[in-house]
Amino acid sequence: MEILAENRAVHADLEPAAPCSNHYYLNMGPQHPSTHGVLRVLLEMDGEYVVDPQPVLGYGHRMHEKMAEHKDWMAFMPNTGRMDYAAALPYNHGYVALFERLCGIEVPARAEYIRVITSELNRIVSHHLWIGAMLLDMGAFTPILYTFDDREQVLDILEDVTGSRLTYCYFRVGGVCKDIDDRFVEKTRAFIKRQRERFDIYNKLVTGNIIFIKRTEGVGIISPEMARRYGVTGPVVRGSGIAYDVRKNEPYSVYPNFDFDIPVGRNGDSYDRYMVRLLEMEQSLRIIEQALDQLPDGPFLGKVPKKLKMPTGDCSFAVEAARGELTYYLVSGGGDIPYRLKIRVPSYSNLSVLPELCQGMLLSDLVAAMGSMDLVIPEIDR
Amino acid sequence: MPPELLRMIIAAVLVVAFVFLNAMVLGYMERKVSAHIQRRPGLMEVGPHGILQLLVDGFKLIGKQLVVPEGANRFLFRLAPILSFAPCVLPFVVMPFARKLQIVSMDISLIFILAMTSINVIAILVAGWASNNKYSLFGTFRSVAQAVSYEIPMLLSLLSVILMTSTFSLQGIIAAQKYYWFILVQPLAFIIYFISGLAETNRAPFDMPEAESELTAGFHTEYSGMGFSFFFLAEYANMFTVCSIATVLFLGGWKGIPLPLGDYTGIFWFMLKVYGLLFVMIWVRWTYPRVRFDQLMTFCWKYLIPFALANLLITAVLVKLI
Amino acid sequence: MHPDTEKLINALRGLSLTVEACDYQQRGYHFAIDAESGKLRALAEVMLEHEMFLAFVGGLHVKPAIEIIYQFATYAGACRFVVRVAVAPDNSVPTISDIFQGANWHERETRDFFGVDFTGHPNLVPLILAEEDVDLKPLLKKEEALKDTAEVRWAAPVEAKPEVEKAEQG
Repeated sequence: MEILAENRAVHADLEPAAPCSNHYYLNMGPQHPSTHGVLRVLLEMDGEYVVDPQPVLGYGHRMHEKMAEHKDWMAFMPNTGRMDYAAALPYNHGYVALFERLCGIEVPARAEYIRVITSELNRIVSHHLWIGAMLLDMGAFTPILYTFDDREQVLDILEDVTGSRLTYCYFRVGGVCKDIDDRFVEKTRAFIKRQRERFDIYNKLVTGNIIFIKRTEGVGIISPEMARRYGVTGPVVRGSGIAYDVRKNEPYSVYPNFDFDIPVGRNGDSYDRYMVRLLEMEQSLRIIEQALDQLPDGPFLGKVPKKLKMPTGDCSFAVEAARGELTYYLVSGGGDIPYRLKIRVPSYSNLSVLPELCQGMLLSDLVAAMGSMDLVIPEIDR
Repeated sequence: MPPELLRMIIAAVLVVAFVFLNAMVLGYMERKVSAHIQRRPGLMEVGPHGILQLLVDGFKLIGKQLVVPEGANRFLFRLAPILSFAPCVLPFVVMPFARKLQIVSMDISLIFILAMTSINVIAILVAGWASNNKYSLFGTFRSVAQAVSYEIPMLLSLLSVILMTSTFSLQGIIAAQKYYWFILVQPLAFIIYFISGLAETNRAPFDMPEAESELTAGFHTEYSGMGFSFFFLAEYANMFTVCSIATVLFLGGWKGIPLPLGDYTGIFWFMLKVYGLLFVMIWVRWTYPRVRFDQLMTFCWKYLIPFALANLLITAVLVKLI
Repeated sequence: MHPDTEKLINALRGLSLTVEACDYQQRGYHFAIDAESGKLRALAEVMLEHEMFLAFVGGLHVKPAIEIIYQFATYAGACRFVVRVAVAPDNSVPTISDIFQGANWHERETRDFFGVDFTGHPNLVPLILAEEDVDLKPLLKKEEALKDTAEVRWAAPVEAKPEVEKAEQG
């Protein structure tokens, strides 16, 4: 125990472990197949066991918050799509809704419906990517090809209407920049039908797989109390049995018009987080289906002044991004450029659990637990 | 030149050529099968349906620079790939491809093959140690522990068959399967052998030593060019050896529907069975996630070994009674 | 709304803090608190007791002192608190990373960007910025762009014009 404490102290300065101990350091990342981008985790190891994992951040840092202080809302808009590149539309959504709330701008109903439909499609896309990536981390190479097959279908739909496949910049203050047409509705309906059939394949290939269950059950258990101390949100906290979803808790846009459930897990382990996301995809399909049925006619972009005049004051807007609660907090000193924009990204808090969560774990479990968190590093680094 | 020596030289050349060819065919098969499992066309560019891709890859690997990492033990680092490759070629010398297609007939050919395949562990140990890389060392630890453990159920399951035939000669074992294949009387031994074979050749779901999402590439992280390709060749040669032992001991070897010139054309049935098993290996790899290391060990010591022992005991009693 | 909001507000008032109820539709949060740095840790403990979680910690460079902004929310319903704490003259704020472990990284990040010292933080080393950029403090404003605290707050009465409020401050 003494050696352990001594090691920790030494570790703070990134010095090699004390010569008397059996511990050693393993540098996982910044270029490692299962850290998804440029996360680096410094592992203090005792054989196969992880004694102390410390994430080292900042390799993808671009200082978005500073950029926001020098641009008007439209000029910063593309930045929002470049944080969580796997699910950029909720980031668009939170950002424009923030200005709408601050300046009291009305959004046409059709625009809100389009926002919800595209955001939910984007959430499904993000979960597709995650299933593949998590299974890839665990050594199964095939599921990612199946989910990417489905992902391509959605990306084609979104590309038609937003013009891009990944880093969207589609929403505008007061609405969206392009209306959806009959073709979009038709293709989306076809996709919903197809995706429902595909869940069967996912379940056969992954969910019921004995090796997968053995690798994820009881691995990386986040208790509700621990989740609260770290501010964990999104599917990770829902896996721990807490039904926290911004779409229900602080309903925004037209989400109150839809009937959907929040799937929750029981044990808070990696398997529960997997199941929560899988079930969430079905709920997103339900939302899209209802939204398409109710889709009102009308303008897709409301009347917005050319230059936004913001009142002085602060304003916060939270949305449910694919990885959890995303909050934009804006402090305005008047004018059209924010005085300060703080972006609370979900993966940041979710990843901060890692040192406590993965202490004493096997290296393979750490990879599975990290995979189940669905990390997007550029979002964390901003 | 004495004719015996000439025969040996020709045989040696043929064996090495076969190993290379086998690696190419298997490499192509692996990539094509995995592609179709994953609903994509796979290799399509070089030659019709990409059949020449592996040839091009081979040339590419030969042309690549051999990088020796700083702080590595140069001699051992260079030695390891050869140490891995050389013993993998030797089992082909005693392999009974057909009744008369066997380069050397030994009474203890089975033991010879098992001994040769076991040397691979030493090569991995040397490679991981000499690389001066923590990931390599990690992969090596796992690999050695895994290979040593899985050798036990593998040998025990083979022993059940040996008890029935009372010979270590591969031709003798094939001859003993005159009326039925041994898989019919020893299904459990076959399953245990095949699972141990997967672990022994470091194939998924037991690919711990090179688990890329955990250890980047395990023991061959630092190898490039031909150093890497020797490991690659050895892996495929080992896979072939494991499957051909299974074919000989459980699936009747070269026996099948008689063809003209049966003494030589038995190779057709032999290859068909071996590649059938190899296909299963590839199929498993591209379907399952990787098991965890402690689960791998538990599986071996708590399930495979007791079952293999029980199977051996029952076989021994039955052989005595009948 | 959080089921125990009443109890929470009472507990906070017990610390002699002023809890300002806000218009959620306009601001996106329900309550705002201006706290002195001395009361921060007691406040955080009350929040932890009442099932709140820490959404984020951020900085805001204003005159006369940098403000640290804490946002608390709850899993149980819609109840968001914005807590503003002006740093002490020696540029320090007590850490709450031992109460809400999630604050650990947020505080390190805020220190990277603003150079604020979180006293009692167990491992206050750069998180996002590289070691060599530790003196950069990118989110500090230039003198000419720096605003007064009152200039970035909502005008207190809804009818009052900004000019009137400025005059009052002056």
